[in-house]
Amino acid sequence: MRVPLNWLREYVDVQLSPEELAERLTLLGMEVQAIEHWGADWRSVVVGELLTVEKHPFADRLHLTSVNIGSGEPLHIVCGANNIAPGQRVPVALPGAVLPGDRRIERTEKMGIASEGMLCSGDELHITSDAEGILILPAATPLGQQLSDLYGDVVLDVDVKPNRGDALCLLGLAREVAAATGAALRWPEIIVKETGDPVSDHLRVDVRVPELCSRFVGRWIGGVKIGPSPDAIQMRLRAAGMRPVSNVVDASNYVMLELGKPTHAFNGAAVTDGTIIVRMAERGERLETLDHVERELMPDTLIIADSKGPIGIAGVMGGAASEIGDDTTAIAVESAIFDPVSIRRTGHRYALRSEASLRFEKGQEFRLARIGADRVAQLTQAWAGGTIARGRVDTASVEPEPARLAFRPARVSKLLGGAIPTADQRDLLRRVGIETELAPAGTRIQVAVEPKPLVVDPGSEEVLVAVMPTWRRDLAIEADVTEEVARIRGYEMTPAHLPDTLMPAYRHSPLRVRDAVREIMAGAGISEVVTHALVSPADEAALAWPDDESGPPPDGASVTDGASIGQPITVTNPLSVQHSVLRRHLIGSLLNVLALNERQGRESVAIFEIGQGYGRVGDAPREWNRLAFLLAGSAAQPGWNQAARAYDIDDAKGLVELLCRLLRLPAPVYTADETGLPLHPGRALTVVAQTERETLSGRVAELHPDTIARWDVRAGSVVVAELAIKGLAGGNLPNVRVQPTPRFPEVDRDLAVIVENARPAAHIEASIRGHAGELLRRVTLFDVYRGAPLAASEKSLAYRLVFGARDRTLTEVEIDGAMAQVRSGVEVDLGAHIRT
Amino acid sequence: MDFETLSADLRGLQERALKEIAAAADPDALEQLQIQYLGKKGDLTAVLRGIGALPAEDRPRVGAIANEVSEAVKGALASRGTELRAIVQAQRLLAEKVDVTLPGRSIARGTLHPIPETIAAIAEVFGQFGFVIYEGPEVENDLTNFQMLNIAPDHPARDLWDTLYVDIPGHLLRTHTSPGQIRVMQSTKPPIRALLPGRCFRYEAVDASHGFEFFQVEGLMVDEGTSMADLQGLLDEFAHALFGPRKTRFRPGYYPFTEPSVAFDVECVVCGGVGCPACSKTGWMTILGAGMVHPVVLQYGGIDPERYQGFAFGMGVERISNLRHSVPDLRYYLENDLRFLEQFR
Ligand SMILES: [Zn+2]
Repeated sequence: MRVPLNWLREYVDVQLSPEELAERLTLLGMEVQAIEHWGADWRSVVVGELLTVEKHPFADRLHLTSVNIGSGEPLHIVCGANNIAPGQRVPVALPGAVLPGDRRIERTEKMGIASEGMLCSGDELHITSDAEGILILPAATPLGQQLSDLYGDVVLDVDVKPNRGDALCLLGLAREVAAATGAALRWPEIIVKETGDPVSDHLRVDVRVPELCSRFVGRWIGGVKIGPSPDAIQMRLRAAGMRPVSNVVDASNYVMLELGKPTHAFNGAAVTDGTIIVRMAERGERLETLDHVERELMPDTLIIADSKGPIGIAGVMGGAASEIGDDTTAIAVESAIFDPVSIRRTGHRYALRSEASLRFEKGQEFRLARIGADRVAQLTQAWAGGTIARGRVDTASVEPEPARLAFRPARVSKLLGGAIPTADQRDLLRRVGIETELAPAGTRIQVAVEPKPLVVDPGSEEVLVAVMPTWRRDLAIEADVTEEVARIRGYEMTPAHLPDTLMPAYRHSPLRVRDAVREIMAGAGISEVVTHALVSPADEAALAWPDDESGPPPDGASVTDGASIGQPITVTNPLSVQHSVLRRHLIGSLLNVLALNERQGRESVAIFEIGQGYGRVGDAPREWNRLAFLLAGSAAQPGWNQAARAYDIDDAKGLVELLCRLLRLPAPVYTADETGLPLHPGRALTVVAQTERETLSGRVAELHPDTIARWDVRAGSVVVAELAIKGLAGGNLPNVRVQPTPRFPEVDRDLAVIVENARPAAHIEASIRGHAGELLRRVTLFDVYRGAPLAASEKSLAYRLVFGARDRTLTEVEIDGAMAQVRSGVEVDLGAHIRT
Repeated sequence: MDFETLSADLRGLQERALKEIAAAADPDALEQLQIQYLGKKGDLTAVLRGIGALPAEDRPRVGAIANEVSEAVKGALASRGTELRAIVQAQRLLAEKVDVTLPGRSIARGTLHPIPETIAAIAEVFGQFGFVIYEGPEVENDLTNFQMLNIAPDHPARDLWDTLYVDIPGHLLRTHTSPGQIRVMQSTKPPIRALLPGRCFRYEAVDASHGFEFFQVEGLMVDEGTSMADLQGLLDEFAHALFGPRKTRFRPGYYPFTEPSVAFDVECVVCGGVGCPACSKTGWMTILGAGMVHPVVLQYGGIDPERYQGFAFGMGVERISNLRHSVPDLRYYLENDLRFLEQFR
């Protein structure tokens, strides 16, 4: 809400500087977001008096003028307007002047004659809407004065909160200023000179849906003459951010800004039979609205109609056919109270939200219907002449009594945390027009209205009754009174201290495991990213995995063995298709980050994200946390003392193994995943590490070249992983369980196993473990060999087996026995032979 | 062979040996000398072969001399050995000299993203005051995101939250972390001190200070006497922890789910309160919104508003991070340019 201070001063005296006033309003909850110096963009525009006006010798449409600007020689200025005459006072832009829109005025030559500046129209100064004629100033305007000194103003931009519709007007904000400063509020003097016929001779109103239109006040003004409003009024409207239209329309807008009451003026001649009907639209009805859009009306729309059909959408926008035009002579004024919800829905429905509908949506003070109609009639007659018909049409002339609300001063103090004496509370409330009185015995307290009314017996506590001003529709429960006391008193008066109440029970932080994983990853040289959850549907689909849509939910944190994460969730009103579905997998987001950083010239990217995935099974949404990482480019920062090495899938597996160690999980088990797209069919695997309570599972892979190409990534190979880790969504790391340190020496033996090339190493290790017996402590692969003397179809894997026992030193016989078991077992299981 | 001759031979051997040992140039030569003089087939053994030809009474005297000679040679070998090893080591060390001013071998360390790091910093402060962390769903239902927070379907305040809806009936992407208040209250009993971090969504065009995805941290405390003064005391501690000692203030605000509602301002971190473009010349920066939990919200949470009262607050993680790290543009966070992220080392 834009508040020109000169206008505000009509209703309240302001002694403070604009900055001080802004601060006071802000501390009262009416946040001033900007202080604008209106007219600051008229520089070197002064008041001049026209001495002579003559025809330009070489151009019919131009005039030669001489202008006295109060000092020095008269200026000679060429002007194209026709409304000028000697003796008038006008704004003169001197050479060097700057006008709104950064328009610079210089000495020029027009059709061979020099012009020493420019006479300004209201439009050129952005203070009235008249672009044709020069702005004619009042005769008493002092010569030579800077225009900004005369008409400049300070405009506060106030953020009025949605619950304070009553303050969405100058009078409402003047009330707040009065409360803040103690100054008196001045209501405008509203006197309606009713000299015409009875209004019933001209206007009848039939409200057919009183539940949506609780009051309709109508007035009739005949014999008006349409024209521009007075310049001073136009300037005021401009400063408040409203475009002047005509005297009648301006009167309506002025009252909306002044009192917060939207009204509408119909061309009286266009209201058939002088009868206004408030009803719901009927199917198929159409209306051309004031913005000259022909609209099909929907049956749940509250409309204003006459006997022939719709003439306006109630509270939102009038119809073009009944618009005030230059030839309008009689006007019907509508000043109604509409249902806020209905107006709000209609505004959304037609994507038509106006200054008027915004005010209706927030609810209107009931008596404003009457006051607004009177004020519009008064101003219309003042600015457009005419005769006001006697009386009003009023469908609900009984105005309700102020609401009364009981409250306990002790509860006000308790909520705020410091004792505020009852007398002080009453004084504070009085400043915003809330009178208080002692409550009669038996008064009960409204603690809550929704979802179930809660009314309590105050017992022996002191109770006051607050008499709410009729304009304050936002005060309904005891806590609302507390807020008024607190805000008028000022929060700097509230004490501050640390809580001394009971602590809640212990609870594991759900961030704990996540933070542990983040530290592990960063320690391993991988940088954390946080990316958008909303992604493009095409990207999402390109990274779907074959098992996404079958199997059990992901709560058990398994991304393998057919675990289902369901279908993607789609946004129905996305900002762009690029961000219109919730991702199920994180890899696409990481690829976007890779592509972005490659564009910035980055060769190597190693990133991870712990992020949410989202899916739906039927209408049940589900969310889960996953760790994903991506490695591309060089694994080690190449330097003078170390060589570059490209990331490969072993780096990814190394990270997984590190995670398993630090998360106290067993070594991961790898299984080839040859599904192909989006992954490399020969370089993809599933990984599972599982104990009874904890799991880690997921996929590690090089991406398929087609996937890399789709993301426009330059890197030749990109390694990714996405892992579900139990505990990412909450929980704790298991405690370390210590084994006694071995007291007897361990013995190691090497074993080279020759198998066909296609045989996975995981099989060999599993077979070794299966046959070695309980003396085996560790198995480590230390070499993979291909070449002579092996056949081309063969490879040799060399393992070191470590044996030990807790209670004795092993004998050669025991170890030889175990090794013999392993050798024969591996031969039988895998058809392998042992290299000796 | 007589005693004199033999003892003279021994003395001669000693003299010769000591001279040669002193002249030995390296440990290998020294080793050769040891073998030459003291070895099984060495010179000393050769001289002593003549001992059998001596009278029995002379033999011990020769033995004593031979011992002296042997000890003297051993001693000389040892000390010359020490000298030579020192020389060799000194030469090796000289040869091993490197340019110590060359940079070290780089150890890769990833960086942690400022969003989770800021959440951790916030959680650490409130954790000291007993606040425990909860998380709620991001795909939320309308009831919890709005209605239970006292925002009816046609409430004018709905304009404060431009919403992204999803293709699941009655669901949307949560516009704030506040629905977590309801979930916490429904799942636990007072005393409640809860912190709820997480991602939120709004239908909002992206610019330097807006995004359609952003992060918030919600706080909730409910007990029998929890008051505005508690809120103010805690937030002062929070502001001091994150931004150092500086003035703070409450001013009235508006949220449908709190009554009274306030905005919490700290003295501008750029200008220190004098007034600058960053604080719109007010000297203050708003870091969060807060208030006393509305009785409607308490009731939906299953808590008796006549017995219990509490406060809630909500802050933008990016805003806090911007102020702490002078980040000029909200878009930096989800863009993930490593040139930005790697500054958080
Ligand atoms: Zn500042």
